[in-house]
Amino acid sequence: MKLLATRRLVLGAAAVALAALSAIPAMAADSPAQLIQGVADEVIQIVKQAKGPDREAAIQRILTTHFDMEFMGRAALGTSWPQQWDVSTPPERGRYLTAVASAEAHAYSERFGQYAGQTLAVGRVVPRPNGVSLVESKLNQSEGQPISIQWEVRDTGQGLRITDVKVEGVSMVMTRRSDFNSYIQGHGGQVEALIQELEKRAKN
Amino acid sequence: MSKGMFEAMTFSVRRTVVVATATAALLGGCAMHDTGATEVWDPIEVPNRFIFSINRAVDIIAIRPVAVVYRDWMPVPAKKGIHNVLENLGEPVTMINEVVQGDPSRAATTLARFLVNSTLGLAGLFDVATSLGLTKTKEGAGNTVGYYAGVEPENGGFYLVLPLAGPSNARDAAGLMADYAVDPFRILTYALNIDAIYQGTRYGMTVVDIRTRTMFALDDLEKNSVDYYAALRSAYTQQRADLIRQKREKTDSRGELDRRDNLALVR
Repeated sequence: MKLLATRRLVLGAAAVALAALSAIPAMAADSPAQLIQGVADEVIQIVKQAKGPDREAAIQRILTTHFDMEFMGRAALGTSWPQQWDVSTPPERGRYLTAVASAEAHAYSERFGQYAGQTLAVGRVVPRPNGVSLVESKLNQSEGQPISIQWEVRDTGQGLRITDVKVEGVSMVMTRRSDFNSYIQGHGGQVEALIQELEKRAKN
Repeated sequence: MSKGMFEAMTFSVRRTVVVATATAALLGGCAMHDTGATEVWDPIEVPNRFIFSINRAVDIIAIRPVAVVYRDWMPVPAKKGIHNVLENLGEPVTMINEVVQGDPSRAATTLARFLVNSTLGLAGLFDVATSLGLTKTKEGAGNTVGYYAGVEPENGGFYLVLPLAGPSNARDAAGLMADYAVDPFRILTYALNIDAIYQGTRYGMTVVDIRTRTMFALDDLEKNSVDYYAALRSAYTQQRADLIRQKREKTDSRGELDRRDNLALVR
C-alpha cells in the first residue's frame, strides 16, 4: 500500500513538472527555429517521463498549443471541407476537428513510443513569401542515417504555429488528405462517415 | 517515350495544377502546399487495389514474419553487412544513371565508392568509402526520367501497384525495367550462367532488407490511416517526388524556388 502511495506521489510530481516544463518554451517561441527546438525538447521530456494515456494527453496538449490543428484539419479535408462550415459552426465541424486532433495525438504518442535517444538538430529556416517559414531539421539516430524532417510554420493571430510536418519529403497533411478524401469518396461523399470512423478509432 | 508525349504531359499537368489550385482556392479557401499536384493520378485504381490486397496477404503470411525474425534475431553487424553488400551491387546502376543525368563528377564518386568498397570493403561488406568522405547516392532510371521530364515530379504517370514490389507508377516501373536491363551484374551473371542463383539470392535478400527497414513506417501508416491504400499511394508519390526534386534543386536551386513562389502566387 505504501509503495502504491509513493508511486502515485512520484507520478503526481512528474505530472506537475511536465506541466511546468511545457509552459516555459510556449512563451519563448518567438522565431520558427526556436519553436521547433522548443517542441522537440518538450516532446523528448514527455516521452522520457510519461507513458500510455498520460503521454497521449501531454502530446495532445503540445498539438493544441504549438500546432494549428484547425488549419491542419481543414487542409486534411481539402476540397471535402464543407462550405457551410466556414459560415456557421455546426456540431459536425467541432466533432471533426476533435476527432482529427485525438487521432493525431494517438498517432504521435505511438510514434514517439519507439524513442531511443534520437536528437533533433534544427537546420536552416527558409521564409517563403506566402508567410510560411520552412524549418529544416535532422533527426539523428544512434544507428543509421539521419532522417530529414521539414516543418511548416506560419504566424497565426496568436503566435507561430506548426501547420505541417514533412518526414523525408512526405507531408503528414498531404497524406491525410489523400487518405481522408479517398475514404469519403468510398462512403458516398459524406464527411459524416469519416467523422464516425475517426471517433470509433479514438475509442479503442 | 517520345518528346512530344512529355510536352503534352507537361501542358496537361500544368493546366490541371492551375485548375485544381484555383478550384481549391475557390471552394476550400485554402490550398496551401508547395507541392503542385493535389491528387495522384490513378486511372486503374480497381486492379491496383486488387493487386494491393494480394500483396498484403502475401506480406502478412510470408514476408513480414521473415522480416520480423530477421530484424529481431539477426545481429546488427550482420544486418549492416548484408545491407552494404546489396547497396554495393546497386552502385553500377547508380553510376550509369548519374552519367545519363549529366553529372559526371558525381558518377565518378560513385565509381570510386564501388571500387573502394568492392576491394577494401571486402565485396561491399563494409562501407569504407563513406568513412573516406565518398558520400552515398542512389539513382534509378525512374529518377533520371523524373529529372528530365518537365513536369512536377509528383506526376510519374499513372499510379501502379506491382505484384510483390508494391507501390510504383509508370515512370518508376519503366525505370525498374531499364535499370534491370543495364545492370552489369545481371549481364555478367547471365553470361556466366549463374543468373538464377545470383538473382534469387540478391532479390530475396533485398526484399527482406527493405521490408525490415520500412516496417516501422508502414506499420505506422497502416495503423493511422482510414484508407491505407490511398495513404500509401500519397506517401510513395511524395517521397519519390522529393528525391527527384532534391536532384533538380542541386543543379538549379534558384529556379526551383522561383517556381515554388509562382505556384504560391497562383493559390
